[in-house]
Amino acid sequence: MSVLSCLSTAVSSSALQEVILDGLLHPVLVLNSDAEVIYGNASAAACFGPYLIGSDLNALFPACPDAIACLHARRTTFEVISETAGRFSVFASVSSDGDSILSLIPVVSDVRSIVETDELTGLIKRNGLRGFLEQAFAPKGGEGGLVAVHFLDLDRFKVVNDTLGHTIGDQLLKKVAERLLSVCRKQDCVARLGGDEFVIVQSGVTDLADAERLAARLVDLVGRTYVLSGHAVNIGVSVGIAMAERNQAPRDLLRNGDLALYEAKRAGRGRFRVFEPGMYAALRLRRELEVDLRRALALRQFDLHYQPFLDLETNRIIGYEALIRWEHPTRGCVSPADFIPLAEETGLINKIGEWVMRTACATAMSWSEDMTVAVNVSPIQFKADGLVQTVLSALAFSGLSPHRLEIEITEGAFLEDTPNVLKTLHALRDLGVKISMDDFGTGYSSLSYLQKFPFDKIKIDQSFIQASAGGDGEAILKAIASLGLSLGMAITAEGVETAEQLARIRGENCTHVQGYYTGRPQPADRISTTIETEAAGD
Amino acid sequence: MSEPLYQLVYYSRNKVSGQDDALEAQVDSILEASRRNNQAVGLTGALMFNSGCFAQVLEGPLDAIEATFERIQRDERHGDVSLLALDPIATRAFPNWAMGFVGHSTKNAKRFEQVGVRSGFDPQRLGAQKVHAILRDLTLDEEGLAERV
Repeated sequence: MSVLSCLSTAVSSSALQEVILDGLLHPVLVLNSDAEVIYGNASAAACFGPYLIGSDLNALFPACPDAIACLHARRTTFEVISETAGRFSVFASVSSDGDSILSLIPVVSDVRSIVETDELTGLIKRNGLRGFLEQAFAPKGGEGGLVAVHFLDLDRFKVVNDTLGHTIGDQLLKKVAERLLSVCRKQDCVARLGGDEFVIVQSGVTDLADAERLAARLVDLVGRTYVLSGHAVNIGVSVGIAMAERNQAPRDLLRNGDLALYEAKRAGRGRFRVFEPGMYAALRLRRELEVDLRRALALRQFDLHYQPFLDLETNRIIGYEALIRWEHPTRGCVSPADFIPLAEETGLINKIGEWVMRTACATAMSWSEDMTVAVNVSPIQFKADGLVQTVLSALAFSGLSPHRLEIEITEGAFLEDTPNVLKTLHALRDLGVKISMDDFGTGYSSLSYLQKFPFDKIKIDQSFIQASAGGDGEAILKAIASLGLSLGMAITAEGVETAEQLARIRGENCTHVQGYYTGRPQPADRISTTIETEAAGD
Repeated sequence: MSEPLYQLVYYSRNKVSGQDDALEAQVDSILEASRRNNQAVGLTGALMFNSGCFAQVLEGPLDAIEATFERIQRDERHGDVSLLALDPIATRAFPNWAMGFVGHSTKNAKRFEQVGVRSGFDPQRLGAQKVHAILRDLTLDEEGLAERV
């Protein structure tokens, strides 16, 4: 008598018997004496697929060749592992006619075996990671130590993929995965979230230093040279660490790790950062500022103020530098030092810079014809290709003569792709526009920049002007000014605030001056009156 | 036709430096491991060491070179591994496995003399190719740095 007819006898309705078996959460299999499946409940079908009936134990559990032997030895409990459905404890019994009845209970503690793995690296994927985290947080008896999450993002992986191809890129990901596994312990979990993002869950951590040690090792190890199909390949890795807190949802922990990773990348990549509660608030503030910044242009919240610069020989104003102001309805006046870096990071600087250029040129048209307008241009605008076109169109639109426009750049413009920047500068110069080097002395102050391009003017940073008389600042001011003189470049002393400072720079070969003492920035509508007043005073 | 030959040249700061006994133990273990692993996969080459660094020329099939180099990269005892060359070669400059002390320290020269003798290390061969000569000079520099510490 088969097991099924046994069941039918015991339970009057065969429909009810089906309902009960299919209602079980774990797979139930019935095997004949050849270890072939003759029945599987709904859970079994879900775990092992629709072609279950007729398969033998070896086909279902190829990783467990001795499962059949266990069956024949009449073992009542043993374990099997399925590639698709994970690890199970098997409880076996035998019916009177020799059929085996197997209850398969999933072994939940071994999450790794029941989750999908990444085909390329063999690491677990995002959903598996979540399961692992929930497991790691499950209340346990005794002290299991702390849990740290390391968020990893490869630096320069895209360049490798783009230059050496996807085959090498895939080989690299595999080697990275192997290196990650080589520094992790058995109880740790290494996951690939896709692309070049990895997460390591480090358990049994004693303190933060423990987690930092692993992160430092990861940065060192992943950053070491790879040899792949005869190519030497170098990448780096940025790591964000988040320490798990009691009762924390895995989702929050992952978010914290991601935030710390973001900070590691912002700090220059190839390093690790530990999550701090302030990071979330800082990022939220930045996001809000970005939202406001994106609409500031359309809402006409920007304005330009103009600060005069004087020719020291004639003591007359010869032009104005356009300085951006952001008047926000609730934030009030936002400092350019706060929003320009964000505008550069988000690329919004290109649109803002275009507006500044057009507005400044148009405003200058209302001044007397010998006045120059100086406009600051960000290094990001040099990268964006459209700068010459922007200047051309601003000049054409306003009707301003090119020689009345002065473009101020900082050394930052030269840091990347110098040949292209020089090409742009020469194109601007060919239009008749003047070019000046702003904030000289604060950055790299490489003299080679002065040699690479014949600037019309060097603006010496205010810190040297405001330095005390007779000190190093004054010596540097003197040196830069005489350098400018010998290169045939005009020299503007910035940030002059007192009569004493003005008197001092007169003696140092400076040709121009700009600062609060000689004139504060003011709105466009007050410029024309200044010019008139000054003319009247002559 | 046999597999194409490659040559890989690297040097690394010795993270175990400082104690002579530790260096000696490490040298022994590397020599033993190299003999065991390299012969089986067709690798030959030269390894120079002193208290400051390890410098190595590996020659053989690309697969074996890549696998060995990856193993070295994962070894915590190596720090700052610099890959100096990775090129196809027509013939081996070091047809046997050799390892020897290269340095000015007379104490260590004496101490590690037998390692060189046992493995047939010939410092003269290091002058044959420019990269090998550079490697030797780098090794000497690193010893100088380490001894001063």
